[in-house]
Amino acid sequence: MFKKFSFEDISAQNQVKASVQRKIRQSIADEYPGFEPLLDDILPKKAPLIVAKCQNHLNLVLVNSVPLFFNIRDGPYMPTLRLLHQYPDIMKKFQVDRGAIKFVLSGANIMCPGLTSPGGALDEEVLEETPVAIMAEGKQHALAIGYTKLSAKDIKTINKGIAVDNMHYLNDGLWKIERLE
Amino acid sequence: MAEKPQAVRVLYCGVCGLPAEYCEFGPDFENCKPWLRCHAPDLYPDLLNEENRADADEATQKLQAVAISGSGDGRGDASAAASGSASAPKQEEVKRLPGGKIKKKEKQEVVIEKIVRNKRKCVTVVKGLDLFGIKLSDASKKLGKKFATGASVVKGPTEKEQIDVQGDIAYDIVEFITDTWPDVPATAIFFVEDGRKVAAA
Repeated sequence: MFKKFSFEDISAQNQVKASVQRKIRQSIADEYPGFEPLLDDILPKKAPLIVAKCQNHLNLVLVNSVPLFFNIRDGPYMPTLRLLHQYPDIMKKFQVDRGAIKFVLSGANIMCPGLTSPGGALDEEVLEETPVAIMAEGKQHALAIGYTKLSAKDIKTINKGIAVDNMHYLNDGLWKIERLE
Repeated sequence: MAEKPQAVRVLYCGVCGLPAEYCEFGPDFENCKPWLRCHAPDLYPDLLNEENRADADEATQKLQAVAISGSGDGRGDASAAASGSASAPKQEEVKRLPGGKIKKKEKQEVVIEKIVRNKRKCVTVVKGLDLFGIKLSDASKKLGKKFATGASVVKGPTEKEQIDVQGDIAYDIVEFITDTWPDVPATAIFFVEDGRKVAAA
């Protein structure tokens, strides 16, 4: 999704209303329960929250011009990888085997066999259509953020085709934007 | 869960910007290697061995070179020149931005763009004057005075500052710029027309 992404893709940046700010905060807290105690640190109440609208119904949430979260249409908010690296335990994790890393880093979706093979691992209770962190065999940090197409159970039983949509991965367009403007 | 989880500090590679452990999958691992050797030697134990081997190779090469220069001066010079040219491109390669993009030296050029607003009113944007060592605040004052309009220094996209001048002054701004600041050659001034750069002179 962010394979090509640059400043030109941002069509508008607005400081959002307090009510919208509350809504964003609430939905992030709902999505990531482990994140709640951190919320005040990461999204300080005082600092202005800016939402950048981009093409393809994409929104970026910025604090102090650092992108922290993104979402598509009305989908769930997902942290950027830089944020996830700081707080790795806020998301459910899937692990892919070593062979898959190369493809994931060039933007491929995550296929079932890469998760079910000996190098892979799944958090059991993940349902479909939830954001997950994609870890890799033998690596400490996440390499991508994805949006599950199948539940963990289905991934194991079907074991074929796309399991997780690759939303944001290392060295993609969003990764390269550390600060906006 | 009263205690807050602490933020993890991730070691990012100084060359490609990825977390150090993913350098091997990065755009050019070769360039990251020297950085990794001094900053994260434990991540890639293989690298150190490689380095030792490389050192050994270099040493033998040097020995050979010495031997050659001992036998004949002309050949020794040639080999020195060859090694010099080999090191030069290497240095250029290091100048890459994180992410593998080749770093461009910022071209010294002034870009003038006309933005139409409200159909019959427009703003002329002048970018890049600062690259010639011109103070933007001074420049905006001068522009405003000359054309009798509002001119302000505005933060444009991507941290760059530019001058917005009210009204369409594109027709004689080139002359004004070259007259006021002789450092700026007319050939370095460009107009933007339909999203394309057109030389002014």
